[in-house]
Amino acid sequence: MKEKMTKKGPPNGGPGKKEKEFHPSLLEKLNEAGLDTRNLIFSLEGDMDFEQCFKSSWLCFDDKGLYIALGDEKLDKVKKHHTPVAPVFRIDEIRSIPIDEIDSLETESYLSTGRLISVKDGVKEPLIWFTLGKLPDFSRFVRAFNSYKETGTADIKEDDKHEGKCKVCGEPCPPGKDFCRRHRRTSGTAIRLIKFFGGHVPQIALIILAMVASAAAAVFVPQISTRSLYDNVLSNPDGLPQAEVLKALGVLVLSIVGLRLLNVVLTMIQQYMSASIMPRVMYDVKVKIFEAMQRLSVSYYSSKQTGSLMDRVMRDANNIYWFFTDGIPRVIIDGATIIGVVAIMIKMNWRLSLVALIATPFLVASLFFGDKAFRRMHHKVWVFRARTGSMLSDNINGQRVIKAFAKEDDEYDHFSASSKNLRDAEVHLAVTEATLFPILEIVVMLLSIVVLGYGGVMVARGDGSMTAGTLLSFIVYLEMLKEPFGFMAWVTNWWSRCADSATRVFEICDAQPEITEKENAVPLDNIRGDVVIKELDFEYEPARPVIKKLSLEVKAGDMLGIVGKTGAGKTTIANLISRLYDAKDGSVSIDGTDVRDLKLGDLRKNIGLVSQDIYLFIGSIADNIRYAKPDASMSEVIAAAKAACAHEYIMKLPDAYETRIGAGGQRLSGGEKQRISIARTIIQNPKILILDEATAAMDTETERNIQQSLQKLTKGRTTIAIAHRLSTLRDSDYLAVIDQGTIVEYGTFNELIRQKGEFYRQYKIQTEALKTIGIGDDAETNSAKEEQKDEHESE
Amino acid sequence: MSTNQSDKAMQTISPETLRAVYLSPSECEFFKSENGFLGAVIGEERHERVILARALPLSCPDEYICISDVERKEIGIVEKISDFSESQQALINEELNHRYFSPVITEIKSIKEKFGNFYFDVLLGDLKKNFTVKDLTKNIRYHGEGFDLIDVDGNRYRIINFSEIPAKSRRKLEPYLY
Repeated sequence: MKEKMTKKGPPNGGPGKKEKEFHPSLLEKLNEAGLDTRNLIFSLEGDMDFEQCFKSSWLCFDDKGLYIALGDEKLDKVKKHHTPVAPVFRIDEIRSIPIDEIDSLETESYLSTGRLISVKDGVKEPLIWFTLGKLPDFSRFVRAFNSYKETGTADIKEDDKHEGKCKVCGEPCPPGKDFCRRHRRTSGTAIRLIKFFGGHVPQIALIILAMVASAAAAVFVPQISTRSLYDNVLSNPDGLPQAEVLKALGVLVLSIVGLRLLNVVLTMIQQYMSASIMPRVMYDVKVKIFEAMQRLSVSYYSSKQTGSLMDRVMRDANNIYWFFTDGIPRVIIDGATIIGVVAIMIKMNWRLSLVALIATPFLVASLFFGDKAFRRMHHKVWVFRARTGSMLSDNINGQRVIKAFAKEDDEYDHFSASSKNLRDAEVHLAVTEATLFPILEIVVMLLSIVVLGYGGVMVARGDGSMTAGTLLSFIVYLEMLKEPFGFMAWVTNWWSRCADSATRVFEICDAQPEITEKENAVPLDNIRGDVVIKELDFEYEPARPVIKKLSLEVKAGDMLGIVGKTGAGKTTIANLISRLYDAKDGSVSIDGTDVRDLKLGDLRKNIGLVSQDIYLFIGSIADNIRYAKPDASMSEVIAAAKAACAHEYIMKLPDAYETRIGAGGQRLSGGEKQRISIARTIIQNPKILILDEATAAMDTETERNIQQSLQKLTKGRTTIAIAHRLSTLRDSDYLAVIDQGTIVEYGTFNELIRQKGEFYRQYKIQTEALKTIGIGDDAETNSAKEEQKDEHESE
Repeated sequence: MSTNQSDKAMQTISPETLRAVYLSPSECEFFKSENGFLGAVIGEERHERVILARALPLSCPDEYICISDVERKEIGIVEKISDFSESQQALINEELNHRYFSPVITEIKSIKEKFGNFYFDVLLGDLKKNFTVKDLTKNIRYHGEGFDLIDVDGNRYRIINFSEIPAKSRRKLEPYLY
C-alpha cells in the first residue's frame, strides 16, 4: 500500500527535484514578478491568503529563502472527460523570507482551516492560512523544509495513498482512479439492475414473449367482440339467412373464448416463470449487498446508522423485488397494449385517433416531472423511516439506562417527534399521489367523451367514414388505454421508489473499502511476533490527530502495557496494529514487514483481540467459542473454556455448551461473557494478543478470575495490554504511558515507579483508593526493595 | 475570580468536581502580541498566547468561552463575551472568527447527489466554490435558523438563515434537510 519515495536535493543543498512542478505559465509569471524560480527545491499550491480569505497562493523555497506568492488562477470551462485547457495566472504579491530567518516551519489546524507558522529562536510567527483539504500538502511542505534545514536535503517520505487528481476537474480522486466521484462513469441505475438478470436470459425472453403475446391477444378481442359483431354479424349488411348469421355469431363467440383462454395461459406461463426467477435474483441482490458490507472497513460502519444499513439490505432489496415482480410485467404488458391499441385505432380511423391521443404530450410531461418529485418524496420518507428505526433500536438497547434515569416520557416525546416527521412525509407523499393520479384519470375520461361526441357525428353523417361498430370498438379501445396510461403514470412513482432503493444499494456495492490488500501481499507464516511501531500518525477526522509520531517496540513473547487517560489514543494503537484502520503516516510492522504489505487474512488470524466491548453472536456457547476455528473439536472447545476459567460456570447452565446466547438467548454476566470471549481467542491461538481494557468493566473478584485466564492466554505470545487499572499491568515487561497520542513515559513497572512521573502519580491515586477499601499493595516500597537488591547484586 | 456563577453551580454539583474558573473582565485582559497571536493577562499572570474555544459553538457562540494556554491547559472560562469592553470583544471575536472560520453560503447554484456524495456548487458572496459532502445527514450541524455543512476535508460552510437564502437555492437543498 505504501511505497516510500524519497525526494532528495543534491548533497550540497543546491537545486533538487521539486515535489510539485509549478505550471510553466505560472513560473513565467513568477519570474516576471521578480522571483528566480530556477533553483526551487519544493513547491506547493495553497488556497488562502494571510488574512484567511480564499485566494490562490503558491509557496516554494530554495537555498536562499521561502517565498509566498498570492494571485489568481483561472481555468477555462472544461467539458466532461476532456483534458482541461491551460490555466491563466495572475500574481498580485510575493512575500520573501530569508531562509536564515526561519529555524523551522510548523502547521496549526483549527476547526476548518490551518495556518503555516515559522519558528525562529523559539518565537513563532504566523504566515499563510489554508483550508483543511490542503493540510496534507502543507504538512509535506513543512517536512521538506525542516528536513532541508536540518540535513541540507528536502528528504521526505511520500505516501502513495496520496490521492491523484481527477482528469476532468482536477479535484482529488480515490487511489487507483482517474476520475473523482463526481465524474466517475457509471452505467445507469436501470441498466445495473437489469444486469442482475444476466443469468436468466432465456427465461426472461420467454416471459417477455408471453407478455407481448398475451397483450396482443387482449388487443384483438374488441375487434371481434364489437366491430365484427356489430358491423359484420348483427347489422347483417349482406342480408344473409338467419342460420348463416347464427353460424357466424357462433364462430365469433368461439374466437373470443379462444383468445381469452390464450390470454390466460400466456399469463400463467409468465407468472410461473417470474415466480421462479425473481426470488433467485433477489437472493443475488441481498447477497451482493451483504458481501459488499463485509468488504467495507470499520470506518464505514462507524459513519452509518445501523437502522439505515439494515433498511438497505431488507427494505430496499424488497422494493426492487416488488417492482421487478409486479411492476416490470405490467410495464411490458401495458406498453404492448398501448402500442397495439394505438396502431389499431390509427388503422381504423386516423382522424378520431388524433382526437383521442391529443392529451398524450400532457401525460408524458406528467410522467417526467412526476418521476423527479416522487423520487425526492420517497427519499425523504426513507430517511425519516431509517431515523425512526434507529431511534427505536437505540431505545430498546438503552432501556436500562432510560429506566434508571426515569426518562421514559422524554424518550416517548423524542420518538413521537421523529414518528411525526415520518408521518408528515408519508402524508405528503400519499396526498400528492391521491391528487395527481385522479387528475390524470379525469383527463382520460374527458377524452372518451370527446371521442364519443366526434365519432357519433361521423356515424350520424352516414358518409361511410365511420360505422357504429367501429365507433363502439373505438370506445372499448379507449377504455382499454385508460388503465395502462394510468399505470404508466403511476409506474414512474413505483420506479422512483425502486430507483431510490437501487441507488442506495449500489452506494454500498460501489463503496471502496479503506483497508485493502495489496496485489502481491506477503503471507504471514510462522510468525515470531515482533511488533514495531515507527513514527505513527493517525487521525479519525481530518486535522484532528489522535496519534502523533508514536514509536514503540515489542519483542516476540514480551508483554507491553499501555496506560493513559481516556482518549489518549490507546485503543487506536490496537486498531492500527490489527489494521482496522491505516496509519496516516509512519508504520506498524510485524516481524519486519509493514502490516499494509501483509495478507489481511493472515494478519487478523495472528492477532487476537480481547476487548472491553464483548460481542457474542446469536448461537450456542460452543459456536461462539469456535468462532475463529469452526472445525475445532469439542475437546478443543472444552480445553479453551477451561483455560479461560469458563468451563465451570458453563457446566452449571442447563444446556451447558449448547446454551443459546446473544440476542434473545441466555443472559450472562459481563465476566461470564468476557470469559467466553477469552476462550474464543484461546482457540484462535494468535501469536500477538491485544488486551484492550479486557477487565475494565469487571468487579475485583471477577477481575482476579479473569486475570488468571489472561495469564494463561498471554504465555508465549507477544502481548499488548491496555488498561486503566495499573495494578493489572505488573507483569508487563515494559510500560508506555500515552498522553494525547504520544508516549510521555516508558520503562518497566519499577522504573516508572522510581521515576515518580505521571505513571507514579496515577498509581498512587489508584492504590490510595484501594487502600481505603482494604485492598492494594505498596509498589513504592517494593520498588525500593528491588532497587536495593539490584545494587547488592551489582556489588 | 467571580463567584456568583460558581455558587449557583455548586448548589447542584459537589465542590470536588467543580473545577471551572469563571473569569470576569476585571480579572482578564486580552492583548495582541507582536506576532499577531492573542495573549492575555489573567490575574497576575501574563500569557503570551492563549487559545479560545467555544463550549457551545452552535447554540451560544458568544457564551462560555474557554481560555487555555498553548498546551491546552484550561485557565478559565468567560461566561459572556458581551461583559467585556468593545475593544476587548473585538480581540476575542477576531480570534474566535479565525478559529471557527466558516464561510457563509449566499447562494446554492447546484447540488448533485451521486452514491451518497453531495456535490455543492455555491456562491460565498462573489466567490464561486464547490465542495463535496459525504452522507449529508451526518455532516450537517443545525444552529438557530441555519446550519453548517461539513465537507469531506472537514471544512465548514455556513448558512446563517436558511429562510433568507434565495428560494431557488432553498428548493435545491430542502429535499435533503430532515
